[in-house]
Amino acid sequence: MKSVLIVDDSIAVARQLEKIVNSDDAFEVVAQGRNGAEAIKLCQQHKPDIVCMDMNMPVMDGLTALRNLMQLTPDLKVVMVTSLGGVGDKYTEAIRLGAKDVISKPFEKDNVLEMLKRL
Amino acid sequence: MAVKFFGQFLVEKGAVSRIDLLQAIDLQEKTNLKFGEMIVKMGLMSSADVERVHMAQRNEDLHFGDMAVKLGIITDEQVQQVLTHQRNNHLYIGEALVQLGVLDKEKLEDLLAAFKKDQQSYVSEKIEIPANIPHKPIWEMVADLTYKMLTRVAGISFRPGPCSIVEKLPSRPVIAEMGFSGAVSARYLLSVSESTRNLVAKAILDEDSVEDEPEEVLDDSVKEFINIVCGNIAAKAAQLGHSIDITPPEIVEDNGSGVDVPQDHTGLMFPIYLSDGEVFELTVFIAKG
Repeated sequence: MKSVLIVDDSIAVARQLEKIVNSDDAFEVVAQGRNGAEAIKLCQQHKPDIVCMDMNMPVMDGLTALRNLMQLTPDLKVVMVTSLGGVGDKYTEAIRLGAKDVISKPFEKDNVLEMLKRL
Repeated sequence: MAVKFFGQFLVEKGAVSRIDLLQAIDLQEKTNLKFGEMIVKMGLMSSADVERVHMAQRNEDLHFGDMAVKLGIITDEQVQQVLTHQRNNHLYIGEALVQLGVLDKEKLEDLLAAFKKDQQSYVSEKIEIPANIPHKPIWEMVADLTYKMLTRVAGISFRPGPCSIVEKLPSRPVIAEMGFSGAVSARYLLSVSESTRNLVAKAILDEDSVEDEPEEVLDDSVKEFINIVCGNIAAKAAQLGHSIDITPPEIVEDNGSGVDVPQDHTGLMFPIYLSDGEVFELTVFIAKG
């Protein structure tokens, strides 16, 4: 079973993602963070296999957190789950920084699980 | 289900890999020079002139070409010459992938047709914006995408009312806002009743009932709804050639008397009517000047 960290400032989205991820026996949500700074702390604490992270967050945005996470643990599988996925520059920056994929909001359950299984 | 750019669509469909896409973007960046780079390449300005324009832009918010004309370095005709050259030589992402040998022209045509079909539901419908409001196509698109997301994400049936200029927002139980910067400077606000907030929350949380949910979660659902809308607005703006950055969503404190439109902003309100007679509002506060 792969461990998943969810990082989103929205409680509603984090809950929705947790429900989707935990609905498949192959994955388990081990922690949730509300911003990029918490993502870094929780990654060091829980060492998750996969991180699902928003881009547009207060305190530290998702792309800054992604840059830091890739420096700390280059093999970490990070997926950006964001309403900004359709903005070419943001999508490209995320992939260049090392994100394994970008999912646009609004997302669908099947797409999220399919993408997690592809990692 | 969201507004996408063509490269993202190609990766999602498995037509190209992420590596192919990045290589194509690198090729685009080398080919599609910025205005300042292009004008130097065309021999109309020196690098020292470009630096002078950049310095002047720190003190005044003008496009590069407009500033260069203002400083007397080039003429309006030369600006047009560069813009025409940029337009005629622009390398699109599909063409870049063909040049790299990742796609052939026939396959590209098929994929472009599939992309247009996929994005057809996000083509804007006509919305009337009052006269003298700058960037009208952007505000039409903002209202249009909000309406589409209300239907698709929140499952709300409604009738849009006519857009008007206002000086104040009526008081509502929940007002969520996000900031726009870049091509436009504005605040996006969605004001809703408790029952509309609960409809949005049911959809966002994917729950049949939200009766037992704490207020914080219900309000957060409205914030997330506008986050989805504004992210897709930024994506659609990028398709139209405009760059818009968004700030994280927040709840506006309303002491019961409504929210005044700041004096240096214009308030543009789009009322939204529900079948039970209830009304809620999308409003944008657009910075003047």
